[in-house]
Amino acid sequence: MSLERGRGNDSSRLLKWSLRLGSFAALALSWELLARVVNSLLVPTFTETLAALVRLLMTSRLWGALWISNQAMALGFGLAAIAGVAVGFLMGRWRAAERFIEPYLSILLVMPMSAVIPIIIMATGLGLASRVMVVFSFAFATIAINTRAGVRMIEPSWIEMTRAFGATERQLWLTILLRGASPAVLMGLRLGLIRAVSGMITMELLLIAVGVGRLILHFQGNFEAAEMYAIVIVVIAEAVLLTQLCQRLEVSRFAKYSDRQRYARAASWADQAVTE
Amino acid sequence: MMDDNANMAPQAEQTQGRSDAEGEGRAKAALGQSGEDGTLSAFPHLRIPASWLSLTAGVIAWELAGWWAGLGFLPPFSRVLWTAAGLIASGQIVTPLLASLLSLLAGYGAAVTLGLALGVLMGRYRTVEFVLTPYLEAFLAAPKIALVPVMYAVFGLSRLIQVAVIFLSGFFVVVLNTMRGIQTVEPACVEMAHAFGATERQLFWKVLLPGALPLTMAGLRLAIGHAVRGMVTAEMLVALFGLGALLRSYGARFDAEKVFAILLVVIGVALVCSFMVQVAERRMTRWADTTLE
Amino acid sequence: MIELRGVRKVYPSHDGHPPVIALGGVDLTIQTQEIVCLLGPSGCGKTTLLKAIMGLVSLDAGEVRIDGQLVSAPGADRAMVFQNFALLPWADVMTNVAFGLDLRGVSRAERELKAREWIRAVGLEGFERHYPRQLSGGMQQRVGLARALAVNPTILLMDEPFGAVDAQTRRLLQEDLLALLEHSRKTVFFVTHSMEEALLLGGRLVLMTQRPSRIRDETVVRLPRPRPPDVEKDPRFIELKEYLWQQLRAMQISTAGHDG
Repeated sequence: MSLERGRGNDSSRLLKWSLRLGSFAALALSWELLARVVNSLLVPTFTETLAALVRLLMTSRLWGALWISNQAMALGFGLAAIAGVAVGFLMGRWRAAERFIEPYLSILLVMPMSAVIPIIIMATGLGLASRVMVVFSFAFATIAINTRAGVRMIEPSWIEMTRAFGATERQLWLTILLRGASPAVLMGLRLGLIRAVSGMITMELLLIAVGVGRLILHFQGNFEAAEMYAIVIVVIAEAVLLTQLCQRLEVSRFAKYSDRQRYARAASWADQAVTE
Repeated sequence: MMDDNANMAPQAEQTQGRSDAEGEGRAKAALGQSGEDGTLSAFPHLRIPASWLSLTAGVIAWELAGWWAGLGFLPPFSRVLWTAAGLIASGQIVTPLLASLLSLLAGYGAAVTLGLALGVLMGRYRTVEFVLTPYLEAFLAAPKIALVPVMYAVFGLSRLIQVAVIFLSGFFVVVLNTMRGIQTVEPACVEMAHAFGATERQLFWKVLLPGALPLTMAGLRLAIGHAVRGMVTAEMLVALFGLGALLRSYGARFDAEKVFAILLVVIGVALVCSFMVQVAERRMTRWADTTLE
Repeated sequence: MIELRGVRKVYPSHDGHPPVIALGGVDLTIQTQEIVCLLGPSGCGKTTLLKAIMGLVSLDAGEVRIDGQLVSAPGADRAMVFQNFALLPWADVMTNVAFGLDLRGVSRAERELKAREWIRAVGLEGFERHYPRQLSGGMQQRVGLARALAVNPTILLMDEPFGAVDAQTRRLLQEDLLALLEHSRKTVFFVTHSMEEALLLGGRLVLMTQRPSRIRDETVVRLPRPRPPDVEKDPRFIELKEYLWQQLRAMQISTAGHDG
C-alpha cells in the first residue's frame, strides 16, 4: 500500500478519485456487455452476479459456510502465528537456532504447500484437524521468516545501548526486541494471512468439500453460475478485508519506526518482505 | 502523458556508509552471538556449514521415524529416495515434469513481460498507480485458486487454466516490485539528472530503469516462487497433467512413497527455478550497496 | 552575470501544514567569475535559491536572469554539485563523471577523454572503474565535482558540497576546489553553513535570513587570492568571522520561537 500521500491539490485528487471509480464502472460495464454477448449459462452478467451476491448475503447458507471454513482458518492461522512468531524470535535472537532451522525454513518457503495436502490427509484424515493443519502449513513459514527479519532489523546500537545499561535478557525482550520487531511481525502476519486463506480455500476445493468451497462446487455442479461467482467474490472480499485490517495496524507501527527500507534489506531471505 | 512522478519518489534510501553485511555483523555481535562464518566449532579442523549438518540430522531423524514409527503416511527417507529414483529412471516423471515446466514457462514468461510493463507504468505515473492500486492489492491478497471455478466456466477444462493461475500468481508480484523499484530510485539522482538537463526519456532509460533493477529483480525472484506454487495447486485442482495431477492421483491412492517422491521433485524444481532467477538477480545488481538476497 | 529580482517561492499547503514561504523576495546580483558564498541558518531557503538559479524550480514571483536571459530550465551553462553527492550507484566513476556529457549527446570517445581529464584533475586517477560505494565520502564528492566541471559550465552552483564529509577531508577539498578555480575561472555560487568555509572560498559573502528568506547583508571579503595557508590567522579573517557570527547569531535569536 502506498505509504506516501499524494501531493496534488484538491482538484487533481478529485480527478484521481473519479478515475478510480470510472475504471471500476468501466470494468463492470464491460463484464456486463461481454457476458450478454457470450450469453452462456456459465458466464453470468455483472448484474446477475450482484443480485445473487445480495441474495446469498441474506441467507444463513453463506454465513454458515463461512463459519465452517473460517473455523479452520482461525485455528490454523492462530497456531501458525504463535509458532511462527516464536520460531522467528528464536532465530532472530540466537544464532544457533537460526543456523539450525534456516535450511528447513528456506525449503518451506519455496515449497508449494499444496503438494503437502495429500500427506496431511493421509495423516490426519478428512476432518477439521487436517484442514487446520493445511492452513497452518501454508502460513507458518512466512510468519517465521518475517518475524526473524523483524528482530534482525532492530538497530544494533539500541541493543548495545540497552546492554550497556545492564539489562537482563528479559528486559531486553520487553523493552526493545518485541517492540522493535513488531512492524515486521505484523507484516509477516498479514502475508501469512493471505496464505492461510489460500490454504483454506485450496483444501476445500481440492479434497474436502465443506464450507465455502463446498458452496462453490455445489453451485458449479448445478450450473448456477451467478451464485458461484458471487461466492468467489465473497472469498476474495474476505481475504482483502482481513489484509486491509492488518495493513492499517502495520502502517501505524511502521509509521512510528519509519524503517521500511532497512527492514527490506534485513529480511534477506524474507521471501515476502519485498512483496509489500 | 504528464509525468507526475518526478521528484516524488518516497522513502529515499540513505545508503551512505554502512554496508548490509557490516550491519548484520554488528547486529549479531550486539545480540551476543559469535561465530561469523556459521560453521560449528565442534570440529575445529573440519569446517562444516551448520545448515548441512542440520539437514543431515533432519534426514536421519526422518529415516529413523519412518522405520520405527511405522506410520503409513511417513515412509522412511531412503524409500522415498528410491521411489523417486525409480520414477526418474523409468521416465514416468518426465512427461508430467515437462508438462509442468511448459505451463510454468508460459505463465511466468507472460507474468514477467506484462508485469514489467505495467509495473513501469504504475511506477512512473502516479495517476496510473492511484487508479490501479485497489485492484493490485485485491489480487495480491486474493487466493488465486479461488478463481479456478470461474476459469473453468469460461475456458472449459483446458490447460489455459493452469497457465492462467501461474500467470496470476506471479504477475502482481512483479508489478508491485517493479513499481516500487521505480518509485524508490534515489530522488537525489533524479534531481541531479534534471539538473544536468536530462529529458524524460533520458531520465527513464539512464536513471529510473537501472535504479529500479534491484527491487525489480527481487520481484522476479519472488514471483517464480509464487508461480511454482500456483502451478502445483492449479494442477492438483484441474488434474489434467503435470506434477500436481500426479500428486493428486497418488494421494487419492494413499501411496505415500510416491507422493513424497514427487514432492521431492517439486521441491527440486522450485529450488532450481528460484536459484536460476537468483543468479540472474545477483549478476544484474552487483553494484547494489545492499543486495536484497 | 546572474541577476535575481524579487525571487519568491512558496511551497503550497499540504496535509494540513501551512504554506511555506521558502523565498520571500530575493534580490541578488552575481558578477561574472565572482565567487559568492551564501550563508544562513538552516531551514532558510538556501537550497531553493540555488535550485532557482539552476532552473529546477518554478518561481511564484520575480525572475532569474543569466546574462540577460530568463532562466526557466536547466541549461548547458550551469552545473551543480550536490551535498549528498547524487552519484549513480550502478555506474563506475568514469560513467558518473561522463554523465552530464552523455546527456548532451557527446560521443563516447570524447566523453571518455574529457572524463579522464577531469578525473585526473580532481585527483582520482586510477579509480575510474571503481563504484561509488567503494569510495569514501570525500572521493565521491570529487567525482561529483569532476562531473560538474566536465560539462564546462560557466556557472558552478554548489549546495553545501562539503557538508557531508569530515573536517580534514573538507579542508583538502576546499583547497583543491580553489586550485581548480584558479585554473579555470567560473562564476561560483556556493551555499554553506560554515563561516570559515565561506571566508576561505568566497570573494563576497551574502547572508540570508530565516524564512521568508531575504538577503540580509552582503560583505566583500578582502583577503588575498590565492589564499595563503594560514589565512585563518589573518586579523581581517578573524574580524570578518566575528562580524558574521554576530549577524548569524542575531538572526537565530530573532527567529527563535518561530516555526523554522
